[in-house]
Amino acid sequence: MTQSQQPDLGGDTERAHLAAAVDSADDAILSMSLEGSILSWNKAAEKLYGYTAVEVLGKPMSPLVPENRAAEVPRFLDQIKRGQPIDHYETVRVTKDGRHVPVSFTISPIRDADGNVLGASTIASDISVRKDAKTHLAQMEVRYRALLEAAPDAMVVVNQDGEIVLLNVQAEKRFGYRRDELLGQEVKRIIPEGFAERLIADDLRSAKDALAQQIDSGIELNGRRKDGSEFPIEMMLSPLKSAEGTLVTAAIRDITARRMSDARLLEKVKELNRSNEELEQFAYIASHDLQEPLRMVASYTELLSRRYKGKLDSEADEFIAFAVDGASRMHRLIQDLLSYSLVGTKETTLLDASSEDAFQKALGHLRGTIEESGAVMTHDPLPTVLADKVQLIQVFQNLVGNAIKYQNPGVPRVHISAAKDWEENWVFSVQDNGLGIDPQYFDRIFGVFQRLHKRDEFAGTGIGLAICKKIVERHGGSIWVESQPEQGSTFRFALKGSGRKS
Amino acid sequence: MKVMEENSKLRNVLLVEDSPGDVRLTQEIFHAANRSIQLHVASDGVEAMAFLRRERAHDHAPRPDMILLDLNLPRMDGREVLAQIKENESLKTIPTIILTSSDAEVDIVTSYQLKANCYLSKPVQLDAFEGLVNSINDFWLTKVKLPQQAQSE
Repeated sequence: MTQSQQPDLGGDTERAHLAAAVDSADDAILSMSLEGSILSWNKAAEKLYGYTAVEVLGKPMSPLVPENRAAEVPRFLDQIKRGQPIDHYETVRVTKDGRHVPVSFTISPIRDADGNVLGASTIASDISVRKDAKTHLAQMEVRYRALLEAAPDAMVVVNQDGEIVLLNVQAEKRFGYRRDELLGQEVKRIIPEGFAERLIADDLRSAKDALAQQIDSGIELNGRRKDGSEFPIEMMLSPLKSAEGTLVTAAIRDITARRMSDARLLEKVKELNRSNEELEQFAYIASHDLQEPLRMVASYTELLSRRYKGKLDSEADEFIAFAVDGASRMHRLIQDLLSYSLVGTKETTLLDASSEDAFQKALGHLRGTIEESGAVMTHDPLPTVLADKVQLIQVFQNLVGNAIKYQNPGVPRVHISAAKDWEENWVFSVQDNGLGIDPQYFDRIFGVFQRLHKRDEFAGTGIGLAICKKIVERHGGSIWVESQPEQGSTFRFALKGSGRKS
Repeated sequence: MKVMEENSKLRNVLLVEDSPGDVRLTQEIFHAANRSIQLHVASDGVEAMAFLRRERAHDHAPRPDMILLDLNLPRMDGREVLAQIKENESLKTIPTIILTSSDAEVDIVTSYQLKANCYLSKPVQLDAFEGLVNSINDFWLTKVKLPQQAQSE
């Protein structure tokens, strides 16, 4: 520390200690006479202002003061003369190279043993970094506010006491308040329940949890407008660390419209289910009740034909034959419609089922057909799947039955296999060497009572594949065919969620 | 009568059935199966009970060897008729066979719970119906041993 000769400020030893302490200080420390000339100047002062002690000692302060602040120095000195210190005064000083530096001053009077003011000691710290930080913060706040205002949702920032510290224009609109009516108010005023209670918990939550919650769906609560009316809201919270503690930013979305469309959708689904059920029920009742009169027609035409065949004229015989045939076909149609509707009305019970076993049972039901046709049946090991076994048997029975039925003269060969697809579903294949199917009919064959052949070529009502489709779909799976005319067909069906080990 | 062949012994059967078409058809087929069957017809539950209790116009009605009972009947349905028969000390020993177009599980279960002797559904095809009637005749009207005397009421 460099000091001019006068005035004497104390004993030698004391002065040496003080000088060492002052010199090593981080803040610029200087002293000046009551006339404003510089008496001492430490290292930090050299660093801050760029002047060495030699350059300034004994000289006035004025080169360090910007012109527009020239009045400050006499004012300080006046105050000091009256014995009043100046605490943390922020101003600007000019360095040797002409830079303006923001500084904070603490100026204290220097007194002699009798308490007379001899001069002033000034501690100055460079606050440009702090100023930068403040500017940065202010900029951030401007950006943050801009973001808040740009958000399509109402945004409210709340402190740990549950008071609103910031809000955007959407929040004003949604809740019907002016900004100043809400700032500093409890958030309970606009969100009566569920928000304030969450603030404490939120502070304790890790940022990771908080993030998880944001990614997750929000919290559904009720908002209250200024007029007292309430509306459903969805709220996403994110904690915001700040100088005032953890603040919570709440993005609030009015979900009145969504609630209404959800409700409408639910209503539609219910309606659809109801009408579906009614339809299933209708099909069942219709097919069941149709059996009664049909039984009469079938039985009596049959009785007619037995008792009067050859006793009336040949035309009568022919007419009766048509009636008998028609009744018997109608009987089959109704039976098939009944079994089709039963797939819909009966509960599908999904349990672990051996598809091998189901397949063998289906073969048992088809024994007559298989023996009659001389079909060669082969199969790979078949897995255990999650399925309604009775229905699985039916699917195998219908597919294998078809494979044997739609054949050229020759030996029908049918191969059954199962493999897992990329989604771990079991896909079953029933492959035959039969007639094959033109790709244009691939969709049609799975419809109710759809047939590709004349009745005198192949018997049947055309319900088999429709039943298979319905069963497989009730299992959450799908069924399809791969085929070319004269190349055989492969029917495949996937049972969803049945990816179990065989 | 005792000396006659079992098959030619006169058998009284009460058919409780409201559909004339079904009545006639059943008559035809039973007639073809066994000519010594006397088929009595009640067209609803009330009439059936009157016949069995020999009430009103039925005071000379014979005690049937077997009852063929439809479930869906006007006035008093087959389930009530079945319940009353099986609660009656005298009537409960008469084999009561449910012959109906329903094959609903609930009907089957209810019938057996009400102590039906067996449950048969009416087949649509004539051949099948004939087969069924022949089975009934062979078993219930020929092979089965029944008490000779009605138990006192």
